[in-house]
Amino acid sequence: MKSLEKLFAELAVQKLQNQTRRHFLLDCVSKVGGLAMAPLLFGCEPGQISKTSSGLNLSERDLNPLAPLAPPFLGKAKSIIYLHMAGAPSQLELFDYKPELVKYHNQDCPESLLEGRKFAFIRGVPKMLGPQAKFEQHGQSGAWVSDYLPHFSKVVDEVAFLKAVHTDQFNHGPAQLFMQTGSPRLGRPSLGSWVTYGLGTENQNLPGFVVLTSGGKTPDAGKSVWGSGFLPSVYQGVQCRSKGDPVLYLEDPSGMSRDLKKNVISAINQANQEDFETFGDPEILSRINQYEMAYRMQIEVPEVMNINEEPANIHELYGTKPGEESFANNCLLARKLVEKGVRVVQLYDWGWDTHGTDHDGSIDMGLRNKCREIDRPMSALLLDLKQRGLLEETLVVWGGEFGRTPMQENREGKVQSFMGRDHHVDAFTMWMAGGGVKKGTSFGITDDFGFAGIDERVSVHDLHATILQLMGFDHEKFTYEFQGRPFRLTDVHGELIHSVLS
Amino acid sequence: MFDFLGPLLGRMHPLLVHLPIGILVFGILLCFFPQKEKNNLVPAARLAFLLGGIAAFGAGISGFLQYQFEGFVWEDVMIHLIAGVITAFGSLALYYQLRKSDAITQKTKISALALGLILTLTGHLGGTLTHGENYFAEVLPMELQTLLGFEIQPEKGPELAEENWENAELFTAVIQPIFNQNCKSCHNPRNKKGELDLTTMKGLLAGGEDGLVLTAGDPDHSELFSRLILPKEDDNHMPPAEKRQPSKEEIALIESWIKNGGTEKGTLAEAEIPRKLIEQFIVRNEIPFYPVNTIASISGDSLAALKASGFFAEAVESGSGLLKITCTNFPGFQDGDWAKLSPVKNRIAYLDLGGTKLSDALLDSIGLLPNLTVLKLSSTSISGESLNKLSQLPNLKLLYLNGTGVTLEQIQTLTPSKSLEKVFAYETPASAEFPNSGKLSFPFLLETGNYSLPKLPTDTIVY
Repeated sequence: MKSLEKLFAELAVQKLQNQTRRHFLLDCVSKVGGLAMAPLLFGCEPGQISKTSSGLNLSERDLNPLAPLAPPFLGKAKSIIYLHMAGAPSQLELFDYKPELVKYHNQDCPESLLEGRKFAFIRGVPKMLGPQAKFEQHGQSGAWVSDYLPHFSKVVDEVAFLKAVHTDQFNHGPAQLFMQTGSPRLGRPSLGSWVTYGLGTENQNLPGFVVLTSGGKTPDAGKSVWGSGFLPSVYQGVQCRSKGDPVLYLEDPSGMSRDLKKNVISAINQANQEDFETFGDPEILSRINQYEMAYRMQIEVPEVMNINEEPANIHELYGTKPGEESFANNCLLARKLVEKGVRVVQLYDWGWDTHGTDHDGSIDMGLRNKCREIDRPMSALLLDLKQRGLLEETLVVWGGEFGRTPMQENREGKVQSFMGRDHHVDAFTMWMAGGGVKKGTSFGITDDFGFAGIDERVSVHDLHATILQLMGFDHEKFTYEFQGRPFRLTDVHGELIHSVLS
Repeated sequence: MFDFLGPLLGRMHPLLVHLPIGILVFGILLCFFPQKEKNNLVPAARLAFLLGGIAAFGAGISGFLQYQFEGFVWEDVMIHLIAGVITAFGSLALYYQLRKSDAITQKTKISALALGLILTLTGHLGGTLTHGENYFAEVLPMELQTLLGFEIQPEKGPELAEENWENAELFTAVIQPIFNQNCKSCHNPRNKKGELDLTTMKGLLAGGEDGLVLTAGDPDHSELFSRLILPKEDDNHMPPAEKRQPSKEEIALIESWIKNGGTEKGTLAEAEIPRKLIEQFIVRNEIPFYPVNTIASISGDSLAALKASGFFAEAVESGSGLLKITCTNFPGFQDGDWAKLSPVKNRIAYLDLGGTKLSDALLDSIGLLPNLTVLKLSSTSISGESLNKLSQLPNLKLLYLNGTGVTLEQIQTLTPSKSLEKVFAYETPASAEFPNSGKLSFPFLLETGNYSLPKLPTDTIVY
């Protein structure tokens, strides 16, 4: 960073020396008018870099946006691993045990549940659908977990369940955006971006916010779920491929030496700096940094992203098969990344949208297959973090973007050939574990159908507020000035879930 | 026979005081009234000050009688009384001044102004005596109150100790504080909305203008409870919609209290109050994770110097003098680099030397860090020989020794440490020994890992 700073200073001096009286007069003509326009346009400019007469007023953060910062108050966690089950898993087959629902199986859904409600696919009066899994209480905490997750049921004492989470979006895209950015519409920074913006990252050779996907598809909402919104784009999630080279073109092509590459990057950065001098657009700084980062990543990324070298017992624990794109591999990678000082690791696993339209989307078959894919890895992740002491300072969050209905889906008013559930916003289960989370607790109670939360409900904003709190932020004070007003991840909502804080 | 006259006159004090106030204010205004013809208001002003002075004496005497008969404390009334007497003498002095000269001079005006001030002070102090200290401030917006320097101490509500909360008195420790927090501002002896006073059991039992509010054992017929659960839009809902609303736990507690008889007696345990209801009232004395100290936060230059040497260095939290230092991007760290950390020795609270090239010898120096709370030595070549040096660290809570050569025997040398909470020794000789060590126990939690998940038939079944 030192050299970069020096380069900036030199450039600034040189530019001043080249300025003549004619330049000044020209500037007067073109820029005085611009001055009047500036306040009108400034609202759309995300950066806050001030230009002074002596060049640019740059802080360490401007030169290196990922430089670490101290949290406003002592956070119990320093990293987050967020496991997002894209498509929304059925809480009624995994965690929210509803014996009463069994009795109503195949009966018409009571009118009172349907009044004034809209569902994504359910039309008319659907039938109720009893839980298809066998439930048992596990661990000392007596948490209910179904036989779909036999391994996870062994580690429930590490976990705090939130059983009455609710959202207000019943389509995947908006709901995923809401869950990840606090708003169902595009344009807001994701949770990971906020945290990386607020804390920077410890390992300067790795991105601060890494995204890994599995299940053959990326989330419906696209890359915006890990986007940086109005924050400088350097804070957006860096998606690493889980198969083949983790980052494309990271390896030097044959015939290209590392020194040569360094020279190329320096030249590009120099050109970018000149542009930055002229326009002052902070996005150019982001670009410069991304080049620098890419160069540094060449050293560390291949090593971190390579799971081949892990011992056999670890592979056995996670059920990993190197070379495949799988949730298991991603879980192991998540542990390795957090161990190396990455701030946020976001895992998306696609394939949980169990409508009952086909075999894969049935809650008695397809869902079981999905559960098998995540059961061992996510349990292993908790155990592995625990044995390394990383669970002390890493927050693990698991959940989908919404829940699933206690009713059988009746798409187009027809009886389906498979058992499936529609999207449901009123109540679903999520869990958290690790740094600062009270182990072995359950918060939230749903009604006998599992239709809606009746006590201790948690909104998406409440969840965000709590996550930020664990990372050392007051969600009401952590803001970013944009378009003339300070923005928060939780907007004007969000209350801390005290019961799950240790 | 005429014994009652004293107290009666005393009680008339709040009435009588307005006489001198009115007359004197009128007199003072006259002094400042623009006069077309010189001094034709002087006689009126003179009369006002004479009458005002006499009325002030009268008010003073009645005030003294009230103090005598109504159980006021001398400390409270002292300044009020003295100021009242000064007012009385002051007005007579002004009368005298106006009798001597037939003009309202600058001097008269200043005296009148002074009299006005002392009159205001007297009046205000009297008001404070009857209405209370924060009579005016109470109705101001919070921000304005703080601005004016009033220490606002809103009623705190119930506070219970973490231990032994079951034996706290239900009414005294929980119910009354809930009333104080949610109802007191409108239902207190001074401000009895609906003739109801909820600050004492006595007032509670007396009820309000619509009769009793408490029917022991029957919450639904006790307005004390039933009004709380009315819809917020209902006119009879209490507290009023715009005021602070009690939480659902608070309402549930009031309900259980009434069910249990609604008396002053009885503990939480006797009323079978579940912990969930009082969870929010439990005061936890959280022990701060890092040692509490007064080290000022580090200067930007010193921090930059550390970063330039290759360390990751940052305050543990904004504004703290304690530092978190890691060698994430400094894998080449070795004993020789320790000197670079010596300027901040007392500040280091979190030190991660994992993956570096430090040797056993460095533990001597590390063992002297006064505020070290988290120490990571994972994946280093330390043999654990001098591990005992770490037991003298006064604040060490978490120690990471994963992937090192430490043995169980060496970890035992840490036993004298009073602060140590967890030791992580995964992938060490100790982790292999520990499961077979039988009865070995430590005052801290020793995590040796080696977790596995059993192979299950369901692992391979594809549906």
